[in-house]
Amino acid sequence: MDQQALADLKVVEFTQGMAGPWIGRMLAWCGAEVIRIESHRVPGVVRLYVPPAAKDRKIQPEMSPWFTDWDAGKLFVTLNLKEPGGAELARKLVARCDLVVENHRFGAMDKLGLDWETLRGVNPELIAISSSGFGDHGLHPGYVSWGPNIEAMSGMAWLGGFPEGQGAMTQYAYPDSLSALHGLFAVLCALDHRERTGEGQRITLAQLETTVAMIGPEMMDQLAHDQAPARLGNRSTYRAPQGCYACAGEDRYCALSVSSPEEWHALCRIIGREEWAGDAHLASLAGRQQAADRIDEAIENWTRSRSPQDAAKTLQAAGVPAGAVQNTEDQYRRDPHLAERGYFETIPHLKKGEVVAPGIPLGLTGTPGRTPRAGAAMGEDNASVFRDLLGLTETEYADYLATGAIEAPPEPNPENPRPTGD
Amino acid sequence: MVAGGKSALAGRRVLEIADESGVYCGKLLADMGADVIKIERPGGDAGRARAPFLADRPGEDRSLHFLYMNTSKRGITLDLDRAESAPLLRRLALGADIVLETLPVGRLDALGIGHASLAAEKPEIVVTSITGFGQTGPHSHWKSSDLVAGAVGGPLHVTGDADDPPVALAGEQNFLMASTCAAASSMIALLSAARTGRGQHVDISLQETTLSVSHISGVGKWLDDGIIPRRVGTGLTASVPSGAYACQDGRVYLMVNRPAHWKALAQWIHEETGNEEVLDPLFEGPSSRRIEYRELLDLFISDMTALHTVNEIFHEGQRRHIAFTPLQSTEDAARDSHLQSRDFFVEVDHSATGPLRYPGAPFRPESTPWSISRPAPRVGEHNQEVLGGELGLAQETLESLGQAGVI
Repeated sequence: MDQQALADLKVVEFTQGMAGPWIGRMLAWCGAEVIRIESHRVPGVVRLYVPPAAKDRKIQPEMSPWFTDWDAGKLFVTLNLKEPGGAELARKLVARCDLVVENHRFGAMDKLGLDWETLRGVNPELIAISSSGFGDHGLHPGYVSWGPNIEAMSGMAWLGGFPEGQGAMTQYAYPDSLSALHGLFAVLCALDHRERTGEGQRITLAQLETTVAMIGPEMMDQLAHDQAPARLGNRSTYRAPQGCYACAGEDRYCALSVSSPEEWHALCRIIGREEWAGDAHLASLAGRQQAADRIDEAIENWTRSRSPQDAAKTLQAAGVPAGAVQNTEDQYRRDPHLAERGYFETIPHLKKGEVVAPGIPLGLTGTPGRTPRAGAAMGEDNASVFRDLLGLTETEYADYLATGAIEAPPEPNPENPRPTGD
Repeated sequence: MVAGGKSALAGRRVLEIADESGVYCGKLLADMGADVIKIERPGGDAGRARAPFLADRPGEDRSLHFLYMNTSKRGITLDLDRAESAPLLRRLALGADIVLETLPVGRLDALGIGHASLAAEKPEIVVTSITGFGQTGPHSHWKSSDLVAGAVGGPLHVTGDADDPPVALAGEQNFLMASTCAAASSMIALLSAARTGRGQHVDISLQETTLSVSHISGVGKWLDDGIIPRRVGTGLTASVPSGAYACQDGRVYLMVNRPAHWKALAQWIHEETGNEEVLDPLFEGPSSRRIEYRELLDLFISDMTALHTVNEIFHEGQRRHIAFTPLQSTEDAARDSHLQSRDFFVEVDHSATGPLRYPGAPFRPESTPWSISRPAPRVGEHNQEVLGGELGLAQETLESLGQAGVI
């Protein structure tokens, strides 16, 4: 009964890293047919995984959990795009698809004969997104970057962390996922426009711009006043107290936030400071912000003897926003809420049997998504895509293999992937 | 301010009943051309009282957060708690393609505009809810905040220096990611409804969006290797080398992932410092090979960066195709020459503030440009236009609703 939301959508990916692939991952979860083009000459970084526990230390391109997280659910073909026949087959795939997702280095697609004008020529209604660190024009569009480079350039890293510190960076290449989500939204808007007008288009995304837009109010403060906004650490301009408080155990914390009088009174009761609930000075946000150090100390005196989960439960029961600072194991083993919602996804894996992955958080209750498969090898779907979907004859397929346009197994020694430098 | 050209979402209407956790979702849709009608409580949204303010002076049109997050929207006031509001609210909701809301679970049903109730009359409608923990499950009635979402979703645990407590990112990123996810998901639901005639309830959980966005070292890797990541400062656990390095006049960020990039970097260090050891084949190959040598390699790199300015390392590094970039303050970013060359910052004129510069397009569609079509609304600015003109309320009805404090 439930048809998947994007069951008719066809997507071709020329991608690497995370910022491009995560768009395809989410579209595939919604039922789209997503074909990712790879090459043995430049294996994707998420495939370059050596399991820390594995003694032989060899790269395990199909076993990588990063590869599951960003690429499960897609079809995988291998083309040598530097061969005329490889680029030709890529254009044939583009001709039958709705959307191209591309995040190769600036200019790389043009050199391969896969520039936007050419692709639109073979498919007038095409929608394409090109995602890169610096966009396709300006002073230095060709500069190389990974997500963390962009985070560092945007001002976000500098502005994060405690007031006395030097900034804070994510551990998860945040600009990659945020540009993937923005890119996903942008292509969906373009699809909606095409549904109604028949018009395709190209979207470019500069991850630096997406990331600066994420500290919009703070940048407006900087631009309007020519002075840097304050580093807030865990505090807030409109909630107090707010912070991360040490709990029982090593490196265990509980976070809480207070904004309303009811929440403040409840907190005072819980931490045994009923007298503060009647204190007129502390009744205001400004008063509590001034007294923040003193209040934080009292809160931590209460949290220190409790587990973060118990502290959060007690606070929430009294109506105070709170949560344990959870690590991966907490989320998977000790969070009954995530478990009941079925957040984590178990996906059939071609080599492991099955694998657990973080959920796709799109919340489509009427058209639930799913991931049919993880762990495909490079070129896993060459035959089915080029013969069944594109309709190459046995002879044609063999010819493309013979010229190396379609890259064939056996794979080169994965110990020496011979990357070409992007 | 108004860019020429078509809008991708022209003709799409969104009703927004959203606090700071969902307000960016409305902005994304509005800046792409949807007609987003924002409902505020009479007297104005709480977000108008939120710092930072222009010139540090509070005022209902002076919150930079409110001004930024509500561009391109129209604004009306309506007291949701008043019985008189219910029929108006329902008509507004049924006039929309998407109802975007961040109320506590169950409240929308109580107001008579839950998804099931609206869909009975308009099957294609999409209702998008953003809450701390989602619509179902044992914590669905728990309260949240940006910091709480960062706690239960995981980023806090891995952000900051190893010796410090966990620390939040700047700018309430958990709210922004949930909003972006909600915008994308709303569009998927709309596209699906266009085919099937059936809309749906989009259930966005702050905890889940945060967890998914930050999961780079998440459940799959942990089940595989048993390593629980924790705070390590500026480097990425999985990429060696990576992190911030001191130059003569500031810091640069470096990330090396591909084997070829390491070779280029090692060669450069060797040229600059005469270091022979850095060329050892032991360090070559993918990043995971270098993990145990992180501290040593950081020393080699620091020896080189200390000899130069940030700009020297940045541009010469880039010439060698090594991902060196400056670690910029907000001041540096505001003056960034590449952003300037792309005219990224845009000027928006608001009747209360005069022209101010805002960050511009987060992405650039070529035929249907992103644009700020109007500044954030003033309190009740479009009451007359929407409730009078479009819902057809008589002038005297509007006046009596105003006197009764409903609008």
